[in-house]
Amino acid sequence: MSERSLIVPRRRLDRRRLRLGAAPRWISRLPALLWPLALPAIVLLGWQVATTRGWLAPQILPAPAAVVATLIDLARDGDITSNLAISLWRIVSGFAIGAGAGIVFGVALGVSPRLERFLGPSFRAVAQVPSLGWLPFLILIFGIGETLNYVIIAKACFVPVVLNTAGGIRNIPRQYLEVADAFRLTRTTRIFRLILPAALPQVFSGIRLALSHAWIALLVVEMLADTEGVGYMMTWGRTLFQIDVVLAGMVLIGIIGFVMDAGLRRAEKRLRRWVPADG
Amino acid sequence: MLAETSLDIRTVSKTYQVNDQALDVLRNIDFTVEPGEFVSIVGASGCGKSTLLRLIIGLDTEYHGDILLDGRRIDGPGADRSIVFQEHRLFPWLTVEQNVALGLDASDAPVAIRGQSVAEHIDLVRLAGFEKAYPHQLSGGMAQRAAIARALVNRPKILLLDEPLGALDSLTRAYLQDELLRIWRQQSVTVLMVTHDVEEAVYLSDKIVVMEPRPGRIAGIVPIDLDHQRERAAAGFIAHKERVLHLLNH
Repeated sequence: MSERSLIVPRRRLDRRRLRLGAAPRWISRLPALLWPLALPAIVLLGWQVATTRGWLAPQILPAPAAVVATLIDLARDGDITSNLAISLWRIVSGFAIGAGAGIVFGVALGVSPRLERFLGPSFRAVAQVPSLGWLPFLILIFGIGETLNYVIIAKACFVPVVLNTAGGIRNIPRQYLEVADAFRLTRTTRIFRLILPAALPQVFSGIRLALSHAWIALLVVEMLADTEGVGYMMTWGRTLFQIDVVLAGMVLIGIIGFVMDAGLRRAEKRLRRWVPADG
Repeated sequence: MLAETSLDIRTVSKTYQVNDQALDVLRNIDFTVEPGEFVSIVGASGCGKSTLLRLIIGLDTEYHGDILLDGRRIDGPGADRSIVFQEHRLFPWLTVEQNVALGLDASDAPVAIRGQSVAEHIDLVRLAGFEKAYPHQLSGGMAQRAAIARALVNRPKILLLDEPLGALDSLTRAYLQDELLRIWRQQSVTVLMVTHDVEEAVYLSDKIVVMEPRPGRIAGIVPIDLDHQRERAAAGFIAHKERVLHLLNH
């Protein structure tokens, strides 16, 4: 909702400017495109000032330029690329398994009142235990190794997708369900032509939540129980007092996470082409 | 082709439990809809007319008495009945074509025949050219016509209309009333329509069932013995309207 309310005034602004016929489109759009960058610019400036004035020791907060230099160094050595490739593979496979299974189980819970009565409360209770709370137990079961990474990330993705999918299905307007009953829609049609499209917005918020949970799980498990990956690289940087490596890791994660989230938003928009353009 | 199905509603009563209290919604509803007839139910809100339609379509099967279709008691939704709701209730993520095809979902007709049937019925409601449009791209009247196509595409014997024109402006409404008459004749389907608009009921129906509220029961049944080219200003038309209004307000 919030992104829509942001977009609409921007479009109106565009049109007004276009009518004046003054500037080409991309120039008239420039302020809108720059606006989201204002806050990062301010933070970056404050960071630079803090380091040049020596408010914080460089061992604690290195200068932005030092972090960029480290990023470039790490990229040149292949340190970052290999660690990143490992982390991304863990995220993507854990996320695919967890979110995929989450949609299936979420649909089942949302569609079948009997299954909901039988499994719903237990699932909600177990879901209260954060993924990290599971870590010691899962280490005992799977040992320290690649399986543990996938299990913990998949589990972190599974829960929000299930809860949101089931919730989205429960919120489908009764009027539509009556149509499905009155026209005796088959089970397949019901799921693919009514339930999934109707629940799609909430399924997607579950999926996007899952992605951020996946990152949390990935970093923690890499920091605690792995010898490769971005999270491990950051812990290693911290123990060697190379805070620039830690910060470089944070910047990378931020950028990649942002790109993935933007990709998911795009995917959702494509899947919801039927939504009227102006809300 | 003539619709052969008659709908018998025999001493139907329906009670809801509200906070441990029995609330009579329908009491001893008793009337028959003959094959091919256009029957309207009029009544103030709260007289249970929409509840009665829900029972007939089979969305609710808990009631006393009998609702018989060709002598068989209704025990759920079926291919012989179809419904148009007050709001079009098209699925917003499906095109007109896909929405209309939902009406054939339960049928075992082969795909090619289905496609042809969908096209015919989109044509019937004069929406040709809008097959690929999404509901939000249609006006209220067009959306309701698509809903009518969805209801008719499986060739039901009885078409139930739950205030189908209630949400439309008066011009669209008058136009769609004539469209309903045309479709009814063309399809020779039996129609049972709920409305709160007396003039609409007199304009369209062979017979009007007047209901009164709390508990919902029949105040009287008015046969409309006018021919089917009806003039709203004609004396006979007004006389029938008066009779219905008198029953409503006695």
